[in-house]
Amino acid sequence: MSIWNYVVTAHKPTNVTHSCVGNFTSPQDLNLIIAKCTRIEIHLLSPQGLQPMLDVPIYGRIATLELFRPHGETQDYLFIATERYKFCVLQWDSETSELVTRAMGDVSDRIGRPTDNGQIGIIDPDCRLIGLHLYDGLFKVIPFDNKGQLKEAFNIRLEELQVLDIKFLYGCSKPTIVVLYQDNKDARHVKTYEVALKDKDFVEGPWSQNNLDNGADLLIPVPPPLCGVLIIGEETIVYCSANAFKAIPFGPSITKAYGRVDPDGSRYLLGDHTGLLSLLVITHEKEKVTGLKTEPLGETSIASTISYLDNAFVYIGSSYGDSQLIKLNLQPDAKGSYVEVLERYVNLGPIVDFCVVDLERQGQGQVVTCSGAYKDGSLRVVRNGIGINEQASVELQGIKGMWSLRSSTDDPFDTFLVVSFISETRILAMNLEDELEETEIEGFCSQVQTLFCHDAVHNQLVQVTSNSVRLVSSTTRELRNEWFAPSGYSVNVATANATQVLLATGGGHLVYLEIGDGILQEVKHAQLEYEISCLDINPIGENPNHSQLAAVGMWTDISVRIFSLPDLNLVTKEQLGGEIIPRSVLLCAFEGISYLLCALGDGHLLNFMLNTSTGELTDRKKVSLGTQPITLRTFSSKNTTHVFAASDRPTVIYSSNKKLLYSNVNLKEVSHMCPFNSAAFPDSLAIAKEGELTIGTIDDIQKLHIRSIPLGEHARRICHQEHSRTFAICSLKYNPTSGEDSEMHFVRLLDDQTFEFISTYSLDTYEYGCFIISCSFSDDNNVYYCVGTAYVLPEENEPTKGRILVFTVEDGKLQLIAEKETKGAVYCLNAFNGKLLAAINQKIQLYKWVLRDDGTHELQSECGHHGHILALYVQTRGDFIVVGDLMKSISLLIYKHEEGAIEERARDYNANWMSAVEILDDDIYLGAENNFNLFTVRKNSEGATDEERGRLEVVGEYHLGEFINRFRHGSLVMRLPDSDVGQIPTVIFGTINGVIGVIASLPHEQYVFLEKLQSNLRKVIKGVGGLSHEQWRSFNNEKKTVEARNFLDGDLIESFLDLNRSKMDEISKAMDVSVEELCKRVEELTRLH
Amino acid sequence: MHTHVWKQIRDREGGRVHANHFANSIKSYRTSQLQLANHKDIVSPHKGAINSLQIDSTEGRYLLSAASDASVAVYDVQRSASAASEAAAAFSKHRCLFVVDKQHRQAHKYAVSTAIWYPIDTGLFVTGSYDHHINVWDTNTTQVVVNFKMPGKVHRTAMSNLSTSHMLIAAGTEDVQVRLCDIASGAFAHTLSGHRDGVMTVEWSNSSEWVLVTGGCDGAIRFWDIRRAGCFQVLDQSQTQFGRRPPILKRSTITKPYHSQDSSTKMRGAQKKHANGSGSRQHPIGRVPSKGPMKQRLHPGMLSTQDRATAHYGAVTGLKATEDGMYLLSAGSDSRLRLWDVQSGCDTLVNFETVRLQINKPLQLATTQDSTLVFVPCMRSVKAFDMWSGNTYTILRGHYECVNCCWFNQQDQELYTGGNDRQILIWSPARSIDGEGPAEDQDSWSS
Repeated sequence: MSIWNYVVTAHKPTNVTHSCVGNFTSPQDLNLIIAKCTRIEIHLLSPQGLQPMLDVPIYGRIATLELFRPHGETQDYLFIATERYKFCVLQWDSETSELVTRAMGDVSDRIGRPTDNGQIGIIDPDCRLIGLHLYDGLFKVIPFDNKGQLKEAFNIRLEELQVLDIKFLYGCSKPTIVVLYQDNKDARHVKTYEVALKDKDFVEGPWSQNNLDNGADLLIPVPPPLCGVLIIGEETIVYCSANAFKAIPFGPSITKAYGRVDPDGSRYLLGDHTGLLSLLVITHEKEKVTGLKTEPLGETSIASTISYLDNAFVYIGSSYGDSQLIKLNLQPDAKGSYVEVLERYVNLGPIVDFCVVDLERQGQGQVVTCSGAYKDGSLRVVRNGIGINEQASVELQGIKGMWSLRSSTDDPFDTFLVVSFISETRILAMNLEDELEETEIEGFCSQVQTLFCHDAVHNQLVQVTSNSVRLVSSTTRELRNEWFAPSGYSVNVATANATQVLLATGGGHLVYLEIGDGILQEVKHAQLEYEISCLDINPIGENPNHSQLAAVGMWTDISVRIFSLPDLNLVTKEQLGGEIIPRSVLLCAFEGISYLLCALGDGHLLNFMLNTSTGELTDRKKVSLGTQPITLRTFSSKNTTHVFAASDRPTVIYSSNKKLLYSNVNLKEVSHMCPFNSAAFPDSLAIAKEGELTIGTIDDIQKLHIRSIPLGEHARRICHQEHSRTFAICSLKYNPTSGEDSEMHFVRLLDDQTFEFISTYSLDTYEYGCFIISCSFSDDNNVYYCVGTAYVLPEENEPTKGRILVFTVEDGKLQLIAEKETKGAVYCLNAFNGKLLAAINQKIQLYKWVLRDDGTHELQSECGHHGHILALYVQTRGDFIVVGDLMKSISLLIYKHEEGAIEERARDYNANWMSAVEILDDDIYLGAENNFNLFTVRKNSEGATDEERGRLEVVGEYHLGEFINRFRHGSLVMRLPDSDVGQIPTVIFGTINGVIGVIASLPHEQYVFLEKLQSNLRKVIKGVGGLSHEQWRSFNNEKKTVEARNFLDGDLIESFLDLNRSKMDEISKAMDVSVEELCKRVEELTRLH
Repeated sequence: MHTHVWKQIRDREGGRVHANHFANSIKSYRTSQLQLANHKDIVSPHKGAINSLQIDSTEGRYLLSAASDASVAVYDVQRSASAASEAAAAFSKHRCLFVVDKQHRQAHKYAVSTAIWYPIDTGLFVTGSYDHHINVWDTNTTQVVVNFKMPGKVHRTAMSNLSTSHMLIAAGTEDVQVRLCDIASGAFAHTLSGHRDGVMTVEWSNSSEWVLVTGGCDGAIRFWDIRRAGCFQVLDQSQTQFGRRPPILKRSTITKPYHSQDSSTKMRGAQKKHANGSGSRQHPIGRVPSKGPMKQRLHPGMLSTQDRATAHYGAVTGLKATEDGMYLLSAGSDSRLRLWDVQSGCDTLVNFETVRLQINKPLQLATTQDSTLVFVPCMRSVKAFDMWSGNTYTILRGHYECVNCCWFNQQDQELYTGGNDRQILIWSPARSIDGEGPAEDQDSWSS
């Protein structure tokens, strides 16, 4: 690998951190706005559910997301503040469907210490000011002027240093905040302050309340007419206002999120740490609060946000499980729950560990993550590309084409599968036993190759062969009419839809037929100057049975032409350039946009936007899908049309966010495909590949396919053992009824196909699983699972004892065969030179596997190395050991065989608090740290002095904005040795927000090229809210902020492909590289993930 | 009180604690575990009292010490020369990388009272001595590159960590004037007049590169904006009203225009407390918008020079600004430690249980990064006080004679102390002794 790295997101963040509801996109629209840490999504509430409108990246980690409505406005504005002290106010532009920045700025200060408990951002309900608590002891105010514009910010001193929550009170003539805080003696109180905007200071507020519940940490301001505030504790809920105080017992529970139900603020939804959703009701007589009531409603994912939408629909955003759209029913179900889950939105976060495996042995990596927490813990199998779930297959060699046919026009299912060979046509059909059986359609000619087949109107079928077009009744299966090619000419290519047939014969003759009831009528004939290579008349207009345009691909001049139907007038001619002829053309429409796809003989695909009224082709784009000729076919899945491109690298083309996307199908080579929706195999595809015909269903059409295996407990570490075909995990189960300390920890064995628990080893009381590996030792052929543990005793602050457990898998059971006690937590284990290397508290310890006299084995310590604060993350390569310390960055150790000793070679003297390390190559090591940065260091073996050699030089720095828990070498995509990207080494990472990312080491030439492209893209693509990409990616910790170097933002670079042509041209001009070349190079990169 | 370290690591990886909170709570836990280091040791070459200690701010790696025998030394506290072997890694002895003592041609003649690093890198360091000289040294060649002749014994020097536009050494000497020595030109840039006696201690602000705080033998603590004439603030030990907000307004008066309200808001002029917003970074904290009742601070100039307010009875012997730039700690020969709110200039009235402080020498205080603890040399021990309550958190006993200076290494949460017993001691978070390693004498500090 190299020091020039390319960082790209393969799976976007899914951890929902904030959500809010309001009229954002128009005064009539009700919108749900969701923040997923570094992205926001805008949804529209429609009778069909949540409809996505926009999904954009934010150049910052979102700390605050609030909707507000300045005086006199009819719709809401969005306020966003980021953790790096930037803020912006966004407005929806309904004409362009884009976000417009109304205001932006920086709210950082030189004085003050960043708050420990996260940043607080609040907006006065009467829109007089925005309040921010970013530094201990300071409250920043951004006032609004009369016109709703933001004025210059100022700070007010806040004496309360340990602030837990701040909210604005409703119904106050002066803006008034209520502060929940903890004092020096850990007691919690609330206090109110009026903000005197003129004096830029606080004035004591109307009331305060001392000595609250010790777990109080959430304030809910109550809107008029009641006003006041609810204080949610772990055991009580208190309502407080200037003239009322009501308290009720509640819980015990830790409330994580709330959502207001009624605009008058009499009902609230509360979500706790176990996923229990409760309703809190303020009972009142007119404006006088008489009491509080709570009622449990049912279980949801553990909520991080709750947004009440409308009509009992509620959005539950979650950090630890899938987010949900739920409905609150009036009557409980059989289990007594009022909650009905309508939809789940996948969340991989937090990914605490993962492994890369190739379970199907296809040469393509899959990632198995430990996701979620508490009860929502799960394993997720993440695979790139679309899988085909095979349901039936038969051996058939030499398939030249396939079509499915119905037995009558209004039959919802297909009955026949027509399979064409070089000199015959066979017809398969489902028999009564739901088996595929060869049958006959009497009217078809089965002694020759079929060029095309289609269902036609009036219960008819069409078959095109090289010398005729046959129209056959689908009920009687008898020939009703036949059109013959002129003598001396044979049909080369043909296509048809329900009412039309278009065919081409040698000599460039194009013939257009229309289908009537029992009649085939030649309507038009045209002669073109060259031979025709491919045709299409797939209807994309209003009429699903009739097309007004025909697409024709040509030999010789290598062009694609659009003709009008029925008159066969040439509308558009597009030269394709190059020398490769088009082999398949297809007219299709995605998300209401019409396209012309044109596949070439060398595996390239061109796509154009097609204006259906003028026939004009625009926005030409070219991608490479494979190396062999491509055949294009449409199919539908879940009521959406997609295109299947059959070739040596089968691909599904689909559209999302009005953008064409290409997703690999996890099959090696497909020559033909046709949809086959039979009663026995609904929604299936018939696929011809490598000498067999397969019928199978297709996964959901998306780039990454995610399979979820709920565990009901929290998996922390995972590893795979090829030898026993098992996974082993370290997991824990919380026992919420008996207090926080009650956890049970396990080592569990799972079958790698079914993911069922097949064996469990329970750890001791207070013994927690820390790490697990699969390894083998010198002079022993067995493969073992080694588990590192720690005893976390209630009276201690640091672990002083742990164990290394060695298991074998025998008959699907975990057998403990050796154990070794350690003097601390075993944070990390590595197989190392046929021995076991453990990181135990401050020490790196090497154990050898020794055969005892009685034939059993034991771990015997050989040597070790001190000098770390806590050695949390360790990777090895050869004799080198790379240690990621709790707070002292990366150090490099070496194991000396002769001396049997481990010595320090070099160290990075920066104070990075590590979260993961990986070895890129012999000299370059990659680290992720606590402030969401990535960096690389390089060993300096050639240094002149000891001092230089003893120092790891920092060579790359980058702000990722994500907390990485794990790196692993590997790839999510099939690596084809012949492609350029096949040679690029990659590392995969997993983060707390559920991001799966890829770091690819590029050759220097490519890096320089892309760096130039990145800097040009920065000028063209403006960050949402005017946030700067350069600043966002700058390495940042409490000591320094420096520009990113030797890392590139792949997400920005790949967004080049989403630009419109004029912006692409702008960049092409600045780079002095053609748009095609740029597209090609960027597309290559997209194939890394 | 502290959450188990292992659980914190688990909570961090699960996103249950904010990464920033995680680091802070680990630091604070480690700081609470300070004890005489059982795994490393500094071998002091000094033959006199240690007067000053400082770690470089770039890597937190090189400790600079100054002593009364006119010597200065530098140690690598991260890595000892023979660190490679396992035994050395388990207990390392840190000998100095070099020492400049009287053998050196350019060495000071008398006691070195202060030694500080050039804040940008470790290429230069600055020493001040009772021989009336301030020397700027090139670290690599250990040669003096710039030399300033002062009017009296030098007590303290300081350079600003924030500075991007000046290279000024602030020097407190026996003289009443504070001098700013410009390394770039080799000349005095300014003299700051106001103190009525020698200046024991100088400290740059942590929020503005232009603001300097000085403590004199006259008991005064003065704030200077070096771009303006005169000092703009003098701390007054009788000003202690910090923390009072104007009382709640009567509901009936709310409808009246705000500025016509009761006089309590006007009275507070002098102790107005609001920090500057983001747009006003360039201004020192003392400059406030020219509005409302703050008029008397608009042109502070020579006015404050006449101010005879004192912060301590007797001399001010030590100053330390907190990392967040919001507070200032001062130690005085009245054996008091005071915590000042910088914005308002008020004494916060935290009662530190100091008992007794050395009176005739500048004292070097240290604080933790999160400003929860302050380390104060209290005769032969170092006391750690809780910053907000003033309670003694722990007492570090190890020196045989009076302690003069302490420095807290924020990066490693280690405390270095130096005293008249010529020792430099390392106080570090307890490290568990691994029985599998070579046996170590845990009492090695007493040898």
